[in-house]
Amino acid sequence: MARMRIVYLPKNRCRNVVWLLLLLTITSCNLLESSPYDARVTGDTGINARNVARIEKALDGKSSFRFAFISDTQRWYDETEAFVAHLNSRDDVDFVLHGGDVSDFGVTEEFLWQRDILNELKVPYVVLLGNHDVLGNGVQVYRRVFGEENFSFMAGDVKFICLNTNALEFDYSNPIPDFSFIKAQLKDDNPAYRRTIYAMHVAPGDEQFNNNVADVFHLYVKLSPGILCGLYGHGHTFAEADKFGDGIIYYETPCIGKRFYLMFTINAEGYSYEPVYF
Amino acid sequence: MNRSIFNRLMVTLSLLCVWMSAHGETPTELPAYDYRVEQYRSGWNRLVPRYVKLQTGGLMGAVSVGTGWNYGRDHWETDFILGLIPKFSDDHARVSLTLKQNYYPWKVQLGNSPFTFEPLSCSFFVNVIMDRDYWVSQLDKYPNGYYWFSTRVRMNLGLGQRWTLRIPESRRKFHRSVSFYYEFSTCDMYVTSAVTNRYISFWDILRLSLGVKFQIL
Repeated sequence: MARMRIVYLPKNRCRNVVWLLLLLTITSCNLLESSPYDARVTGDTGINARNVARIEKALDGKSSFRFAFISDTQRWYDETEAFVAHLNSRDDVDFVLHGGDVSDFGVTEEFLWQRDILNELKVPYVVLLGNHDVLGNGVQVYRRVFGEENFSFMAGDVKFICLNTNALEFDYSNPIPDFSFIKAQLKDDNPAYRRTIYAMHVAPGDEQFNNNVADVFHLYVKLSPGILCGLYGHGHTFAEADKFGDGIIYYETPCIGKRFYLMFTINAEGYSYEPVYF
Repeated sequence: MNRSIFNRLMVTLSLLCVWMSAHGETPTELPAYDYRVEQYRSGWNRLVPRYVKLQTGGLMGAVSVGTGWNYGRDHWETDFILGLIPKFSDDHARVSLTLKQNYYPWKVQLGNSPFTFEPLSCSFFVNVIMDRDYWVSQLDKYPNGYYWFSTRVRMNLGLGQRWTLRIPESRRKFHRSVSFYYEFSTCDMYVTSAVTNRYISFWDILRLSLGVKFQIL
């Protein structure tokens, strides 16, 4: 019969270990939070860059693909979760584009809760910056969790130019929309780049947009190679409008609380879309 | 609006002065002037903070220092807490101020030990982030009703427990007693998120604070 051997730690060392374990458990679960706006990001970061690489790799050389366009998931955790379950049950979607407003108050935990739900998606997703995401120190948390507020990626031969258009939040102290960023995108000499889609949280004409340059902005949109359409969220309803009367359509996807989103199909001839209820 | 706040403050202050100068026992054989000065001094003495708290977490700063007053047979306590919010992913650290009201319904003597135990503490506290990026109510640049909440001011509720060690008079240096406490708390924004979503559980919105209280007076 084997005899149990009990190893006794020296008393003070044992106490140290207990303290260390206690400290570790408390700090690891972020129980001892200093503020809802503590900007303490635990877990996954740099999501947009990683998912952009996945999208670009998966759709390289293709001219037809399909993506789901959602927006404004703030404080609709249950509905966002339902959307993720719904989308995971389909196998005909290449990626998800999120139009911004993952947070309602700009509180750090909101970004992490939403990230954890959206990370369950089987397909890659990218998230734009919404006006609510800027509140407090939200933009710093957004940058850490998702990435830069202006970014672009290639899905097949289509370049998605994703812009921060929340001018009202930045008091005109930052260039919003950032024309130097847009110009740099249009100069891209990637031979695969044939067509363009603009994505933003707030559309030209909205009180949040810098409407003094709305026409100039649209001029750049119009100049973009093979412009397909503009996409935005913010208004929490569905809308479709030829905002500048030149045939370039801007589409608004509703908030996730409405339990429907827009599914876009791109092929060599152009694009089509349909509302999908879940 | 600022003027009305100022007026109210002045009225409150003058009422406080009247109360402090009128408060106390019946006049002794002291001359009227000395008696009034005595009353005046003892009135102000009531405002001397009675303890110091050192604390961590609880949505009141990663490290925070507090002071305040206990009264009502030590059932009540009002804290004023200064907390540090570290930088983390933000580009600067920040400071928050907390005004906290605590209520301790029971106090239990633990045997013959010098310890007493308060099995329940209930608290309500208001926390303010001292930073220009946060507003009390939405700025004028926004259309009416654009943001219904305040990013600067948080309303919080907490429940906890406390153990107090009485220091025998012979061994007292600066403190009468030392207390150790913990408290679980949450804030308005977390409650708002949890009540409308099954995804956010009760445990997701609980935060912990740990602290030590040094009772001076």
